[in-house]
Amino acid sequence: MKTREGGRIVDEAAVIARVRAGEPEAYAELVRAHTGIALRAAAALGAGADAEDVVQQAFVKAYCALGRFRDGAAFKPWLLSIVANETRNTVRTAARQRTLAGREAAFAEAEPLIPESADPAVATLETERRAALLSALEQLSEEHRLVVTYRYLLEMDEPETAQALGWPRGTVKSRLNRALKKLGRLLPDFRPREGGDECE
Amino acid sequence: MSVSDGRESYDGEAADAASRLPDELRALGRSLDARGGGGAVGSESMVERVLAQILAEQIPVPVQEAGPTGVRARLRAVRRWMRLRRRALAAAVCGLLTVLVLTPPVRAAVFDWFGFGGVEVRYDPSAVPSAGAVVPGCGRSVTLEEARRQAGFEPVVPDALGVPDAVSVTGEPQGRFLVSLCWREGGHTVRVDEYPARLDVGFVKAVRELPEWLSLDATVSPDGIRDPALWFARPHLLSFWLVDGDGDRYTREERTAGPTLLWTRAAGGVPGGDLTFRLEGVVSKPRAVEIAKSLDRHQ
Repeated sequence: MKTREGGRIVDEAAVIARVRAGEPEAYAELVRAHTGIALRAAAALGAGADAEDVVQQAFVKAYCALGRFRDGAAFKPWLLSIVANETRNTVRTAARQRTLAGREAAFAEAEPLIPESADPAVATLETERRAALLSALEQLSEEHRLVVTYRYLLEMDEPETAQALGWPRGTVKSRLNRALKKLGRLLPDFRPREGGDECE
Repeated sequence: MSVSDGRESYDGEAADAASRLPDELRALGRSLDARGGGGAVGSESMVERVLAQILAEQIPVPVQEAGPTGVRARLRAVRRWMRLRRRALAAAVCGLLTVLVLTPPVRAAVFDWFGFGGVEVRYDPSAVPSAGAVVPGCGRSVTLEEARRQAGFEPVVPDALGVPDAVSVTGEPQGRFLVSLCWREGGHTVRVDEYPARLDVGFVKAVRELPEWLSLDATVSPDGIRDPALWFARPHLLSFWLVDGDGDRYTREERTAGPTLLWTRAAGGVPGGDLTFRLEGVVSKPRAVEIAKSLDRHQ
């Protein structure tokens, strides 16, 4: 199973075989290839400022558990399910479930991404739109939020999503459909509301 | 503030909106990536952090478990594997095996030591010893005779050091015993640990530079060093078994050990014949060798 992340192609099976053969340094390649998406997953799942620590722990746990990794499976969904667990534990232990406000703050940090030259009105719209999307996501059930997060925010395909969540593929499909419909309803007419305080 | 300009783009058919939703969600996901700055740099520092932790916690190399089988079979596989590799067993984060990150010469040394020492030497550049560590004393003392009875072998006292100021016996996993002899010398402790060498690994030394091979026997035979000894000139991390208060659980403890000489010697009354010695608290190599040699006058 090859994976391409951040412009790098890694032959996962070969790397995993090297790690298992007693070459922990080879693990660096897997870490390198998946750090980006793992950080995104931690952020999307609510790790907030702990995202880097969460991801580090997840990589170490994945290393520990690499003996149980099923040959031929994809590493990414497997890793991301560990990231999800680790995020849950961190958030729970710290008893600071990221609220929407926290996530918004996280997204606000990403703000400078918008090119300076962009029309401020468009930028504002995008900000509001993102806030609305987040708000809608927040209102979904846990299962629906997860399936949308894995499938779209983390850009995995359906089989990978199924693997990461440990659900049958049919379940992924049906929950995804329902989640999207619900999201659509939660974003009525895509009409930005007055003011920026629609999501508390 | 209302943004009427943008409304048009969202005013399409419901179906159109639904079809854009996945793209919007993907964009939302990507916008998360911007946090934390440059991707490549971020992943490099993550690589360093992860590998450093794997090294520092001495996490065992993950070993593939047999087949796509159930938990039971996997457990069986792990147990079988642990049985095979038992002597390298050490408490570790994943509860499996300590595996070494070694450069080839050290790898060779480890196998040598497995042969006679019960001491595992591991090359670990990240194993930074703490400064100012002192040699721990022996604690509450027993007589040499009591030590012999408890440990099941005759403790050997190096002539060069004379009668020890304190003697202690430490229980180790699987009913094994370690005898420690301590001397007070100019305000610090000189300590000799001895135990039957056939035993499984008891000490693990994490070294940042290779120990020096010495011979305790002046007559070097053509087939190699006789009565070899290992001299660790620099402080290093030493991990060892420690029994807890109620006496039935062993944990790995770690401390910084100073210069150490490690050697083995045939001893009477020891099943298998050899005792492993580790001498700590003597900074001078010639003197350490002298002490080791002084055991033979005992025979």
